Amino acid sequence: MSGQTQRLNVVPTVTMLGVMKARLVGATRGHALLKKKSDALTVQFRAILKKIVAAKESMGEAMRASSFSLAEAKYVAGDGVRHVVLQSVRSASLRVRSHQENVAGVKLPKFTHFVDPAAGSAGPSNASPSLTGLARGGQQVAACRAAHVKAIEVLVELASLQTSFLTLDEAIKTTNRRVNALENVVKPRLENTISYIKGELDELEREDFFRLKKIQGYKKREIERQMAAAKQFAEEQLAEEVALKRGISVGAATNMLVAGGERDEDIIF
Amino acid sequence: MSSDSSSWARALVQISPYTFSAIGIAVSIGVSVLGAAWGIFITGSSLIGAAIKAPRITSKNLISVIFCEAVAIYGVIVAIILQTKLESVPTALVHHPESLRAGYAIFASGLIVGFANLVCGVCVGIIGSSCALSDAQNSSLFVKILVIEIFGSALGLFGVIVGIIMSSQATWPAKA
Amino acid sequence: MYGWEMLSFNIHDGFLEAIVRGNRSGLLTAADYNNLCQCENLDDVKMHLTATEYGPYLQNEPSPLHTTTIVEKCTLKLVDEYKHMMCQATEPLSTFLQYITYGHMIDNVVLIVTGTLHERDVNELLEKCHPLGMFDSIASLAVAQNMRELYRLVLVDTPLAPYFSECITSEDLDDMNIEIMRNTLYKAYLEDFYKFCEKLGGATAEIMCDLLSFEADRRAVNITINSIGTELTRDDRRKLYSNFGLLYPYGHEELAVCEDVDQVRGVMEKYPPYQAIFAKISYGESQMLDKAFYEEEVRRLCLSFEQQFHYAVFFAYIRLREQEIRNLMWISECVAQNQKNRVHDSVVFIF
Repeated sequence: MSGQTQRLNVVPTVTMLGVMKARLVGATRGHALLKKKSDALTVQFRAILKKIVAAKESMGEAMRASSFSLAEAKYVAGDGVRHVVLQSVRSASLRVRSHQENVAGVKLPKFTHFVDPAAGSAGPSNASPSLTGLARGGQQVAACRAAHVKAIEVLVELASLQTSFLTLDEAIKTTNRRVNALENVVKPRLENTISYIKGELDELEREDFFRLKKIQGYKKREIERQMAAAKQFAEEQLAEEVALKRGISVGAATNMLVAGGERDEDIIF
Repeated sequence: MSSDSSSWARALVQISPYTFSAIGIAVSIGVSVLGAAWGIFITGSSLIGAAIKAPRITSKNLISVIFCEAVAIYGVIVAIILQTKLESVPTALVHHPESLRAGYAIFASGLIVGFANLVCGVCVGIIGSSCALSDAQNSSLFVKILVIEIFGSALGLFGVIVGIIMSSQATWPAKA
Repeated sequence: MYGWEMLSFNIHDGFLEAIVRGNRSGLLTAADYNNLCQCENLDDVKMHLTATEYGPYLQNEPSPLHTTTIVEKCTLKLVDEYKHMMCQATEPLSTFLQYITYGHMIDNVVLIVTGTLHERDVNELLEKCHPLGMFDSIASLAVAQNMRELYRLVLVDTPLAPYFSECITSEDLDDMNIEIMRNTLYKAYLEDFYKFCEKLGGATAEIMCDLLSFEADRRAVNITINSIGTELTRDDRRKLYSNFGLLYPYGHEELAVCEDVDQVRGVMEKYPPYQAIFAKISYGESQMLDKAFYEEEVRRLCLSFEQQFHYAVFFAYIRLREQEIRNLMWISECVAQNQKNRVHDSVVFIF
């Protein structure tokens, strides 16, 4: 409602009307563009959401499988095997790389994992399956390793999706806010302003018209009055002429009376 | 050989029958007690160890110890019987063949009883040890193993019977 | 003198043998395992375990239990029992008992050496060592930088010294070598243990040699299967097999050239005792092999209790306890991870 009543504080002039109309056109175009962007983002958002659900499901599966394979390895190779494995690692061999992807002007961070050939334990254990648990449970250790690598893959994918999800969410919110602002605030306000300016201009026009009418009437009356005066004057002159002809000037008589009244000091009042 | 003054055959004849009798009696009690003691420690060490986790077996498995103890008692009984067989004979008759026979009979019965009881004591001890361990694991096994143990302890009794019968052969020459 | 040890065995070891048999009756039974498998969470597991011999070790644990805590406490019980037996033991039983722990000792030494090479904190490493394999100078292992120094400074005073002298030739310690070193040591240890048991003679020698042969054969098969597809050459593989056992020497020659699991099966099926194990496993599947071997081992260990007056019961008891701890770990992992349908996959019932 407030939007309905609001308008820009402008001087209602024709120039301003032009400016406002230009702005309204701009706002409308912007609104349409933003709407399109928002739709595009939403499509992307839905796709990511779908992927996230799938990734989360597979993550649950992968994590369960990996932690269970750890239990299997511990069962076969003894509890100490995890220490042996932990101690023989220098740095992580699975690394995460991040890059950006552009979706409708929104920069989405994407993570991809890769095997760092330089890192990891110094020995050849990285390239080929390590000899850990050679005497017992080596296969389980290898299976456990494979399961955890898979779990990490899913985790990285999920992390990438989740970050994109949040970023997109933010972007969609901003865009939608802009769309709504344009639709519900800026455009109505501009329209209001335009209609206000138009109203004001109409008002001014009417005023002018009225004034003109008034002046016209006045002028007419004046003319009539002058006409009447002229007519009267003409009549008077005619009468005077008649009186002169008769010897008595109407005016003189009057004037005598007036002059006599003023100058007569004998009269008390 | 027999004419040689220092041959074994001569020694067996010349040594006093009383020496043989005394050795027989000593062996009968000594070796029996050795057997009993051996059996008791075999049973006892297992019994004590097993009783730590299963205290209920202690009093029941004392039977095994008593069986071993019985072996020593056999030895004591036979030793007493044997020593009652000892009779004094005139010096002239000491090397009389009948004296020699009596002396060897007592000696042999002592040996029989002693070694039968030694083996019997060890046997009962080993079975008693197994009995204690089995009873600790599964109490239904106790009676079954006890039967085996009884058969084992009968071995000593055989020796005792044979020993007593044999000792009854020991008759010394009449004093007159 | 086979059989005569029953006359003299109890002089020194009768009491301990009875104790170890008493301890053996405290192992969890199939009924216990069935109860444990029904558990919904780790607190239930704890509750069931409190009713068993593990009670005193677990009852004071605070409620948010973890699998490692359970395993730790159960191991503590084993260590306590071992120490108790060690206190009571006289020669040669005490040497025999020490031999049982050398395997863990080797693992600990290897762990510390590995950790030291990667510059980890020694105290942190010590906490991770198996308590059965601790020895006094273990903390000083970390000072060594190469094999020769390690031997000269520390290991020469430990019982492991003769085993180390066999693999001292490898100068540099990288990861490949460490794992091979561990297995070389273990091989030397098994052979030494085997000789020691033969020296003891009697029923001990008979039963222990059987058990150790099985252990050696199992190691040979495992090493073969686990080294398929690695850089381990045939000669290296051959060197890691222990020089005794049912497979020695012809089976080893055949195993050394195996390239896949089916070839291993082909070799093993020639040996009647292992035929049954491999018959259980379908073709191409090696996952169940470990369980099959564990089951066979447990069966053999249990059989050793059927005879009296020998040392193998001590070995068997410690091994059965370790298997039981593995079972408990498996059950609690399954319970904790909500995978109860897989509980029965790996639990080996002892009775």
